[in-house]
Amino acid sequence: MTGYLFHTADDRREMLAAIGATSIREILDEQIPADVQLRRPLDISAGMDEPSLEAWMRSLAASNASAASHVCFLGGGAYDHFIPAVVDEIASRGEFYTSYTPYQAEASQGNLQVMFEYETLITQLTGLGISNASLYDGGSAMVEAILMALAVKGDRGKVVTSRTVHPHYRQTLETYLRNIDAESFVTPEAADGTAEGIIAAIDSDTACVVIQHPNFFGRLEDVERIFAAAHQAGALAIQVFDPVSLGLLKRPGDLGADIAVAEGQCLGNPLQLGGPYLGVLACREDLVRRLPGRLAGQTTDRRGTRCWVLTLQTREQHIRREKATSNICSNQTLLALRATIHLSLLGPQGLRETAEHCVRKTEYLRRLLGPNGRLRALHAGPVFKEFVVRDSHGRVDELLRAAEADWMLAGVPLGPWYPELQDCFLVAVTEKRTRAEIERWAEWMSAAAGVTA
Amino acid sequence: MRNQQATRLIFEMSRPGRRAAVLAPAELPVPSAEELLPAEHLAAGPPPLPELAEGDVVRHFVNLSTQNMSVDTHFYPLGSCTMKYNPKRNERLGALPGFVAVHPLQDEATIQGWLKLLHELQGMLAEISGLPGVSLQPAAGAHGELTALMVAAAHFRARGESRDVVLTADSAHGTNPASAAMVGYQTRTVNSGRDGLVDIEDLRAKLDDRVAVFMLTNPNTLGLFDSRIREITSLVHDRGGLIYLDGANMNAILGIVRPGDFGADLMHYNPHKTFSGPHGGGGPGAGPICVRDFLAPYLPRPIVVREGDRYRWDHEGADSIGRVRSFFGNMGVLLRAYAYIRTYGGVGLREVSEDAVLGANYLLSRVRHILDVPHGQRCMHEFVATAARLKKERGLTAMDLAKRILDYGFHAPTVYFPLVVDEAVMIEPTETESKETLDAFAAALFRITEESVDSLRSAPHSTRISRPDDVAAARRPITRWKPE
Repeated sequence: MTGYLFHTADDRREMLAAIGATSIREILDEQIPADVQLRRPLDISAGMDEPSLEAWMRSLAASNASAASHVCFLGGGAYDHFIPAVVDEIASRGEFYTSYTPYQAEASQGNLQVMFEYETLITQLTGLGISNASLYDGGSAMVEAILMALAVKGDRGKVVTSRTVHPHYRQTLETYLRNIDAESFVTPEAADGTAEGIIAAIDSDTACVVIQHPNFFGRLEDVERIFAAAHQAGALAIQVFDPVSLGLLKRPGDLGADIAVAEGQCLGNPLQLGGPYLGVLACREDLVRRLPGRLAGQTTDRRGTRCWVLTLQTREQHIRREKATSNICSNQTLLALRATIHLSLLGPQGLRETAEHCVRKTEYLRRLLGPNGRLRALHAGPVFKEFVVRDSHGRVDELLRAAEADWMLAGVPLGPWYPELQDCFLVAVTEKRTRAEIERWAEWMSAAAGVTA
Repeated sequence: MRNQQATRLIFEMSRPGRRAAVLAPAELPVPSAEELLPAEHLAAGPPPLPELAEGDVVRHFVNLSTQNMSVDTHFYPLGSCTMKYNPKRNERLGALPGFVAVHPLQDEATIQGWLKLLHELQGMLAEISGLPGVSLQPAAGAHGELTALMVAAAHFRARGESRDVVLTADSAHGTNPASAAMVGYQTRTVNSGRDGLVDIEDLRAKLDDRVAVFMLTNPNTLGLFDSRIREITSLVHDRGGLIYLDGANMNAILGIVRPGDFGADLMHYNPHKTFSGPHGGGGPGAGPICVRDFLAPYLPRPIVVREGDRYRWDHEGADSIGRVRSFFGNMGVLLRAYAYIRTYGGVGLREVSEDAVLGANYLLSRVRHILDVPHGQRCMHEFVATAARLKKERGLTAMDLAKRILDYGFHAPTVYFPLVVDEAVMIEPTETESKETLDAFAAALFRITEESVDSLRSAPHSTRISRPDDVAAARRPITRWKPE
């Protein structure tokens, strides 16, 4: 037996005697019809002891490249930002990670206070009045925001968005909309990599306008004008934002967003192949009754001591069932905890420095790339922490694979989502990249241009 | 010992100019960020986040952690939540850089170890469920329900059937009807009979050609395996409907009985319950789903496929419902589930469920003498007692009982769920608790019922706070700190 069971043979005998059964089998047979029971062992290989398991798992891990073995310039919604030791150290305390939803507030003040601090930090970050205690990830948070808007604007069924929004987020939206009475209208990207024609697409049936800023290509959008047009038409304005960018950029609330959503992976959460991540959602205070997900609130106990509880639960599925604002039942408290610690460590200046590093390092890489005979930046305007590179040879996959062999994860191909950008890839530069790493990327790309030109 | 500082908020500890993380300036031959970005996009200054030193942050959060009950520190018999031991070895393995520092958009050739693990996990989940089609994408159990209902909807659309009703049991988790509503279904509730199982006559009455799916939990939330499961699933299948199994209670039946073998067509797992992923204060979870062959074409893409000794993401699938989230799934949680399944192996998994059933029945045999247990002399992995008699005779509630249990050093059971039991007290001990712990819990429960009414009504006495005022919290919601 290689697992975590407790009972000795004596325990089992005593327990069965107390139950009044001769065997566990008897207890099972009493309840489960014989004809549906499995009459063979599961076809799963034998159990492993800890040393064998660890050796096996290490061998699997060793056959993956990672941001630890390679220099990572990958972005597209997940980024190799630095995670301070304090984040890992505290989040690995069993009192945090082996607890559960704070149904018993008196036994969960640690988690509840963290949720309250997280919610406050997100409102400070976004300039909006209220934040929930987290959702699954950026993509599903965007969809939940849109479902909120459709509920608020009950008689309107159109969602206006742009191809400059993360393709996974838009694909998720399409999946959700297929079964309800609403549809999306997706406007194209302009030659400069920003949203085009989005204002013209807004009409009296538009429930909400959704824009990502900085957008999927790293470009800055004309958010204030787009949101003003949305409001003019009586629609809600939803921004997909990058939390790190708010060290420099205007906050969603200040730009006119009614709801702001983000992928919170960049706030102290590891890449881990795309999940679990952290869905951030903040909104105007008057939209609170439509808010999906858990919410921690402040109150007092019987002695008048300040404390925290889950509140406004009448929005939620365990009370409202089919009338709930969402079916969501869990949240990402452990990742929200990491974000809370991370933002506490960064503070306003740390967030600003991180954002500055991203902007300047990305720009440095873009300038080093030049046009180098084969490769050039597709868009000219300002970017935050990533940009699109076009390969005039059109051999993106081959180029990126060759870079992998030289210990670089050099970029994300755009072809799978944008057929017209089959010859393009996205490159991201976080604060973690050193000047030497950036120069190595640029030199490698110059050499690639020279060798194959 | 108690550290009163812990309850201050980080915002109240903030002092202008205090710093923790500091980055050395980037020495680069490019202009400042303010010059690079257009002025109309720039904020006047960074957001008003708190300003703290690293030592502040560490002490604050470490102290906060001590105000939680957790599986590592306490017996946590929270019914329906399967609060079992979370293996430390899985945490170490999940933190290996070759897993945790992998970007989701890396080339497939660079993530062969990950893909092999996920491919094997897909196979294990199919084998345990008896349902061959697997998607690892959903982020949580409720998300799995939603995804599976979308799969069912796509199936009926493809057949040109306009079924618009989902049946849910009155004892079901609230997520069932809420998920159905999000896919545009109307819901009808099927009642339980006096025995706590599906009332077959009521099912017949509610079943018609509009019914797309019956969402079933089996063993149900009362901890009972429905002995007429074959009859139930046949009734639904005969009318062209599908059976969805809410996999929340899989910890009772691993290797004993498979949902696919008793007639389920679609199901989700809660790997953070059944396969020991840490619950993390309410998440993350994961919600992989398994379906029958004829439903597999509708699953979200990509899924992991094997070609010879290579693995790749398969994005193809004209009938796929599409994606339900960014990237591919809650891989960190799934990795821990994989490590857990490998630790036990096929034979060991059955022992897990057998011991979960043994522990629950043992505790039931003790608790039955203290509280009434309306359904079943025997149970599967959990059982539901009631505090109704305490209420009638002494005016005490399930909540009073729960609060007093905290004083004895145990987390409280789930209370007021399932809705079909008055003053419900739902107890799930899991297989990773010793007989001594179960005895101590039963003894505490007994002592509590002998205590004065006052002692229970004013409980808890030993926690840092007494009962919070939930009504005030909801009437005037304060959901963020504001400066005085």
